[in-house]
Amino acid sequence: MNSFVYLLDTVVTGNSADYVPIGIQIIFAAGFVATVMIATHLLGPKRKTAEKLENFASGIESHGNARQPLAIKYFLVAILFVLFDVEVIFFYPYAVNFKSLGWYGFIEVLLFVCFFLTGFIYIIKKGALKWED
Amino acid sequence: MNAIIFSAGWGIIMMFCSFLVKNQSSYRHIAAVGLLVLLAANIFDTYGVDFFHIDSGKMLAYTRFGFVFNSIAIASTLIYVLLTGRDIERLGRYTAEFFTLVFFVLCGVCLLSAYNNLLMLFLGIEILTIPLYILTGSDKRNLKSNEAALKYFLMGSFSTGLMLMGIALMYGGTGTFLLESSRLQSNLYHGISFLEIVGLLFLLASMCFKVSAAPFHFWTPDVYDGAPSVVTSFMATIVKVAGFIAFLKLCTVRMSVTSTAIDWKLIFSIIIILTLLFGNITAIFQQSVKRMLAYSSISQAGFMLFALFSMNEYASKGLLMYSVAYCLATIGLFAVLVKMKDVTFEGYNGLAKTQPVLAATNAIFLFSLAGIPLTAGFLAKYYMLASIIKTGTYTWVVVAGVLFAAISVYYYFRVIQAMYFKNGEPQMESFGRSFKLGLVVLAAIIIIVGAFPQALFNWLYF
Repeated sequence: MNSFVYLLDTVVTGNSADYVPIGIQIIFAAGFVATVMIATHLLGPKRKTAEKLENFASGIESHGNARQPLAIKYFLVAILFVLFDVEVIFFYPYAVNFKSLGWYGFIEVLLFVCFFLTGFIYIIKKGALKWED
Repeated sequence: MNAIIFSAGWGIIMMFCSFLVKNQSSYRHIAAVGLLVLLAANIFDTYGVDFFHIDSGKMLAYTRFGFVFNSIAIASTLIYVLLTGRDIERLGRYTAEFFTLVFFVLCGVCLLSAYNNLLMLFLGIEILTIPLYILTGSDKRNLKSNEAALKYFLMGSFSTGLMLMGIALMYGGTGTFLLESSRLQSNLYHGISFLEIVGLLFLLASMCFKVSAAPFHFWTPDVYDGAPSVVTSFMATIVKVAGFIAFLKLCTVRMSVTSTAIDWKLIFSIIIILTLLFGNITAIFQQSVKRMLAYSSISQAGFMLFALFSMNEYASKGLLMYSVAYCLATIGLFAVLVKMKDVTFEGYNGLAKTQPVLAATNAIFLFSLAGIPLTAGFLAKYYMLASIIKTGTYTWVVVAGVLFAAISVYYYFRVIQAMYFKNGEPQMESFGRSFKLGLVVLAAIIIIVGAFPQALFNWLYF
């Protein structure tokens, strides 16, 4: 235990007073959420109807067995969107460093896009986007 | 670098084969050729012939030990594909994708044996486990397989979160992601940071989860039991041993320099005893051989943890030996288990009468797992115990290890008892002459390595 106390002492990275604003922000954030939730609970009118009490599941009616077969189109589009979204996000740091990276960087990014394209070709060839029978 | 790029590249080739090659049965041949190419590329790597000169910026550090381990992992996968290729085909319509994921897992294995940066450790673990989540659920119509995949995914992603948190804390404590102690060069550093210790404890927990060491082992039986047997065979062997190789590197570099601040040996001895206790005692009560093998993989993980406890030369040699002995024996056992229609102990009754070759090779694999002399498993256990005796402390861990090894003989020999001393008509899938030949070769390798361990260790030096 002694060694642990000693360890705490040795790390001198900053004054603990520096963290006061962060603490205040955390308290404010938690307090705001709690206040709003309590306020809406107390102030809001309560009219309960069957439709309102139902779980919201992306507009799909939620009743019956969860293991029912379901159109996969929605999920495919969502997953593909995430993939290409991430790809685009990777372009931002590249765009910032476009000049300094030069041709080497350009080739690297081309390689990156090529990997995405192979995945995309795979998806198309497997018929994952063929929706009409 | 060869092995990393070839494994990822051949994975993509397999992916494209799924729609370019129509013949289902040719996928496993393509995969076998790919593994041979990969093995050759890795051997070129070992002797300094690098086809791709890529500057990884100290993120990867290649060692002979890592290369030898890569070769073992790739060769084991080759044996696995050759023995169980037909059974993989029976799993469903996505055989080529199955092999794709196997190649991606191997890419993660190659990263884990060479990482020198905590981010690379994270990347390697992720590349290793994400394909496994899919493989676990690859038997889509089977509810148990679905359950196993979901359990594995939820708990695995949670432990990955712990690992990231640990890495972040270690970065906070030391100011670097590099594994090698750059603190020696850094003037800013004045001692061992509290944050680094906490981070290492987080990493310890998540790595223990990945290698299924107690008290983080609860996912193992359900996942190994629910996953299709061919997947369990891969998961319990190559993937688990790769986790240990990564863990060993983490221990020898980061944990050994912080040993003045926290008693890692005490922590590891507790983990070892708990793992051996849970694995062995629960394995005794199992009725299904598949589930017994899942618990046995926990208890074998307990023995592999000995290497992390002692962290000396004996330990790394022993872990290499253990990976050969454990991987080959378990792959062989699962290859037979996949062919059985009934995977309880009763299902093995009278196997020696109907299939003498299968029963004999199975017995050799079980001898190796139990650590009977003249098999590779005996030397592996010997090196593990010797490594702790070398450290000169905690001899009671050795005593406990020997006791638990004796207990493990009971449930391994129950299978042999069922095969040789009970009467019955085991129901089996059909298999060819080449399957029997493969099993005999596998058993021969185990005995050769057990009799001449230098055949393995020479790879480390020459």
